[in-house]
Amino acid sequence: MSPWRAPGLRTKVAVSFALGATALAVLVALATHGVVRGYLVQQREASATRQAFADASYIREGLMTAGVPVSDVLAATSPPAGAEVLVHRQGQWYSTSLGAGADAVPASLTAAVGGGAAGVAWDRGPDGPVLAVGVPLPGVDAEFYELAVTTELERTLGVLRLALAGFAALTAGGGALLGAWAAGRAVAPLHAVAGAAARIASGELGTRVPATSDPDLVTIVGAFNSMVDALQERIEREGRFTADVSHELRSPLTTLVTGVGLLQRRREDLPPRSRQALDLVARELDRFARTLDDLLELGRLEAGAEARQRADVAVDELVRQALEAGGRSARALAPGGEGLRACVDKQQLSRALVNLFDNADRHGGGLVAVSVRQDGAAVLVSVDDAGPGVPPADRERIFERFARAGSRRSLPGAGLGLSLVTETVRSHGGEVWCEASPETGARFTLRLPLSSPTAAGAQAAGAGAA
Amino acid sequence: MGPVVARLLVLDDDDGIRASLSLAMEDEGYLVAGCASAEEALARVAAGDLPDVMVVDLMLGGMDGFSFIRRVRPLTDAPVVVLSARQDKGDIVAALEAGADDYVTKPFDLQELSARLRALRRRVESAAPAEGRDVVVLDSLSGPLVLDQSAGLVRRGTDVVHLTVTEFRLLVELASPPGHVLSRQVLLDRVWDRGFFGDERIVDVHVRRLRTKVELDPSAPQLVTTVRGLGYRLDPR
Repeated sequence: MSPWRAPGLRTKVAVSFALGATALAVLVALATHGVVRGYLVQQREASATRQAFADASYIREGLMTAGVPVSDVLAATSPPAGAEVLVHRQGQWYSTSLGAGADAVPASLTAAVGGGAAGVAWDRGPDGPVLAVGVPLPGVDAEFYELAVTTELERTLGVLRLALAGFAALTAGGGALLGAWAAGRAVAPLHAVAGAAARIASGELGTRVPATSDPDLVTIVGAFNSMVDALQERIEREGRFTADVSHELRSPLTTLVTGVGLLQRRREDLPPRSRQALDLVARELDRFARTLDDLLELGRLEAGAEARQRADVAVDELVRQALEAGGRSARALAPGGEGLRACVDKQQLSRALVNLFDNADRHGGGLVAVSVRQDGAAVLVSVDDAGPGVPPADRERIFERFARAGSRRSLPGAGLGLSLVTETVRSHGGEVWCEASPETGARFTLRLPLSSPTAAGAQAAGAGAA
Repeated sequence: MGPVVARLLVLDDDDGIRASLSLAMEDEGYLVAGCASAEEALARVAAGDLPDVMVVDLMLGGMDGFSFIRRVRPLTDAPVVVLSARQDKGDIVAALEAGADDYVTKPFDLQELSARLRALRRRVESAAPAEGRDVVVLDSLSGPLVLDQSAGLVRRGTDVVHLTVTEFRLLVELASPPGHVLSRQVLLDRVWDRGFFGDERIVDVHVRRLRTKVELDPSAPQLVTTVRGLGYRLDPR
């Protein structure tokens, strides 16, 4: 799988779900954070203000007593832990702790309190956020300030933020999982359809997608099944048509072949010109009969309907017999490849071989050599011709029906032979291809799986016994 | 035209094929009787006009070739060559099982049909009571099974076991000598005179038919046994 492959439907749905869930979770988290933070701050300010007013009134009481120094009054107060109290009186600052001075109080607050109004302000101190409450003490001509370090509020909010972030991450992950699961559920019926399509493509035309009551799937299943019905009907109609044509053509062809055969026996009784005409008719009739045979054989092979009659044979013997069946010399078979056996339909494979020999003679300037050799668990049969070879661009196309390499259009040959070879070899679990021969011509090689050694051994023993 | 070599019945509903076959076979010395329907051919045979060899098309209007072969078998053992229009292997096996001896597929070569007919006639002649070979005793449960080559027949006890000429030839080949494994290819060569590309199922179908006639229990053959991957063997008891 290449890393830049476009994401699949399931990935897309899962990512969409994850993004949606994340957006929702972030929104909820932000809102929650805002509300909770506002509430907590308000609570903290209220409690700080209450405390400050209580402390302020205590200090005011103390300062009312004339002559008592401010520092003594301050020392007598007990502010809560983490809080400091400052008093500003007559330009002088007094504090409960040593570190805190005038600069600890936010300027905006001193200004507001100086103007005679109590106020609250936030500031950032060295130990965290500081909440400052200022109260004017008008009767004693002083200003009271209380500073509280609110680290505990910060900590609470930190925990809240962490919890919310965790919640958002969990929601995003859950969304992704849910998306993947939902997409899987949605795509699952497609697997059934894909499986059925694959079986149909491999020839099991009876395959259908099981009927469903799911209203979302009924249409696709129905459409798919009716498509296959139509396809099957069409294939069967074509098969019937081919069978009908074959029957209609074969009877007259048989009469013709028999009649011409009869004439050929009485060839000597004919005048020379009639003999020539008879030879022409006989040759063309032979071609006609073979083309029809090839066409029908091809139809049967493609339908895959035929129960095959396979026998374990020596491949070199099969080649020798095919050479002789086509009226050729078995000397064309190069030495080697003895004892290689394959399980084949002798007639079908012989026809395929004869087609290759014919092809070499008709289009390849003549058959040069046939060789049989082993290649791993397969046997290779190569047929070399003396022609100019087949251009690389045409090497696949020539196996199509009625195809002929470009410039050879005027030469005889129905163009069915090589596609019949392909179908035959394929039905035997092998393959055929065209390449350049070691000499100048073309080499057609077919590969067939070797038969299992035990069967071959038994057959060899049988041949010996017979 | 020379002397009559044999009487040939040609059953085909196609006028062209029937006429051209008659011409060609008459050329070879056969006395040809052409029939356009199975009913006509059956009537002719039933009337006592027995052919020596028959050529039968499977696809006929009215009664088809399979039914004809089954109905004609009780009347005559004359060998039947089937003409199969389709090269449909199922049809061929069905015809062989119905009692046909051999087949050619349309469009056939005249030479091929002649060769098939010649091979069948040779079988008839070799099955005729002429050879001087002796009686071979084979089986002994419900009476001995005897292959009487000089009489050209097989007897179980005193009953004659009815075999077609092809079945008889097959038994003779398997019995010479008994106990020897013969491959399908060898039997195809010797009995049917077919070469390398012969259809080995012809042998299988005929062995099956032979077994139904000579075996006590054809589903568990004791006499004609299959040797896996090799062929068939006659096991005399």
